[in-house]
Amino acid sequence: MARRIPVGWLFILPTIIFLLIMTIFPLIWSLALAFCSWKLAKGGIESHPEFIGLGNFLEAINSDRRYWNAMGYTWLYTAVAVTLEFLIGLGLAILLSFKEFRGRRFFRVAYLVPMACPPLGVAFMWRLLLHEDVGVLNKILMAIGLGRMRWMTDPWTARFALIMVDIWQWTPFMFLALLAALQALPVEPYEAALIDGASRWQILRYITIPMLKPVITTILLLRTIDCLKLFDYVYGITRGGPGLSTESASYYIYLVGLSYFDFGYASALSYILLVMMLALSMMLILRLRRGM
Amino acid sequence: MAKKRNSKDILAWTLIGIILIAYLAWTLFPFAWMFITSLKSRAIIYKPYFIPYFQFQPTLENWYNVLKGGYGPRAFINSLVVAVLSSLLSLILGALEGYGLSRFKFRKWKNRDIAVFILSQRMMPPVAVIIPYFLIMRTFALLDTWWALILAHSVFNLPLSTWLAMDFFNEIPIDVEDSALVDGCTYWGTFLRVTLPLSIPGLVAIYILCFIFSWNELLFALTLTYNKAYTVPVLIAGTLAFQQMAWWDLAVYTTLAIIPPVVLALMFEKYLVRGLTLGAVKF
Repeated sequence: MARRIPVGWLFILPTIIFLLIMTIFPLIWSLALAFCSWKLAKGGIESHPEFIGLGNFLEAINSDRRYWNAMGYTWLYTAVAVTLEFLIGLGLAILLSFKEFRGRRFFRVAYLVPMACPPLGVAFMWRLLLHEDVGVLNKILMAIGLGRMRWMTDPWTARFALIMVDIWQWTPFMFLALLAALQALPVEPYEAALIDGASRWQILRYITIPMLKPVITTILLLRTIDCLKLFDYVYGITRGGPGLSTESASYYIYLVGLSYFDFGYASALSYILLVMMLALSMMLILRLRRGM
Repeated sequence: MAKKRNSKDILAWTLIGIILIAYLAWTLFPFAWMFITSLKSRAIIYKPYFIPYFQFQPTLENWYNVLKGGYGPRAFINSLVVAVLSSLLSLILGALEGYGLSRFKFRKWKNRDIAVFILSQRMMPPVAVIIPYFLIMRTFALLDTWWALILAHSVFNLPLSTWLAMDFFNEIPIDVEDSALVDGCTYWGTFLRVTLPLSIPGLVAIYILCFIFSWNELLFALTLTYNKAYTVPVLIAGTLAFQQMAWWDLAVYTTLAIIPPVVLALMFEKYLVRGLTLGAVKF
């Protein structure tokens, strides 16, 4: 680690320059646009942005109920999905880490399949299952006498359905990360606890969870940040419907920017989302930095 | 454990078995259902038949219709080209950066701060840059070309490739390189001839992970392509948007779209968690 020669810059400069051009420059551009009015629907692609100061932000904060509805759903979705994914993932990881048994590797590998899939493929698979008239889930529910669920036409059921899809795809991530962490734990504390006659629950509560805490915090933050970017499932499964009930922040910003072509306002909205995510991002960055 | 098997033990293991298998069914059923749907003719595609040959006569006509031409093959070629080239770009840049950060000490900005600067890109919501991307690509006449997507995808894979490469290079002992340097090798030569060959497994893993993320990505592809360079997720999204969904086409598209990333993920399962947590959790 101790060579300090200018030649090092040749290794790291390409990436840094690439990032400055492809991330920092676009971010500055969209920050500038956030203070402008630029509606292509009115002026066409040859029109120019017009500086309006804080106008976009004031409009978003004061009168855009659709945006805050989308933001509210995004946070609700994130809170519920991340919590359930964590609990299910932890449960499965503990079950699989109890003892060495035949077929353990098979379960580990089979469980991870969903998270490798393209989210749009997942969207289609679930639309097959959730279709209200000919979908398999409703057929099963009707066969056992529970009746039809209005998966796509009832606001709360639709909100729940998207969360269910996220849980289906991303629980494996929690599960695999926790299993890896569990298997890396030292055995001595467990031996000591067994000698002292601790119960299974006590061991989990007072030994396993505290030792896993760093990993748990990291993966919870990672999942939370990724959930807050929710776009693909909304686009592929509900298109924000029924009504506006499942619109996510990213989905609404995408519509404003690239369907209604209101570039200035969309940039302002995306900056509000970015700032709301900043605190969580900083926490995660500092954790990963410490691990270096 | 030398404990005798008592009835309580057996009960516990049965319970665990049932939970594990129930979760397995929940994980795999959607795949099975979609694949079976792809084998149904249009006339019976909405019927809840599950077992081929017993309940219905399977047919390959949907597969034939998709593969013989039209939108499908084009989308797959686009996805493949974009994923192959963008991952290559991410890998090259990430390996250089990772090596630089692992082996050299930068005094003015600390190594950690440079690494964090690259990492911060991973946290940013992509919608915050799609409008500038759209405008940049339009300015350079790259909209609806492979290049627009190759650039966009390689940027969002950079934090992953850099952090993993840094992690892999840190595991290679520096002594090997020092002896090469003593023998008169240049830094560049040492990197190419000594370090790179030693880290090939790690570099392959990075490439594969980048490939999977590029293959699966939707938002940039949706923004930057229209009717020539569209990728598979865009094709699926577009077909899903119709009121009367073409289940017969979609089932085939989706099965095909899922196979490459899933096969690669299973082969590189060991690195998957490491990649997704940027090296924070290792198997």
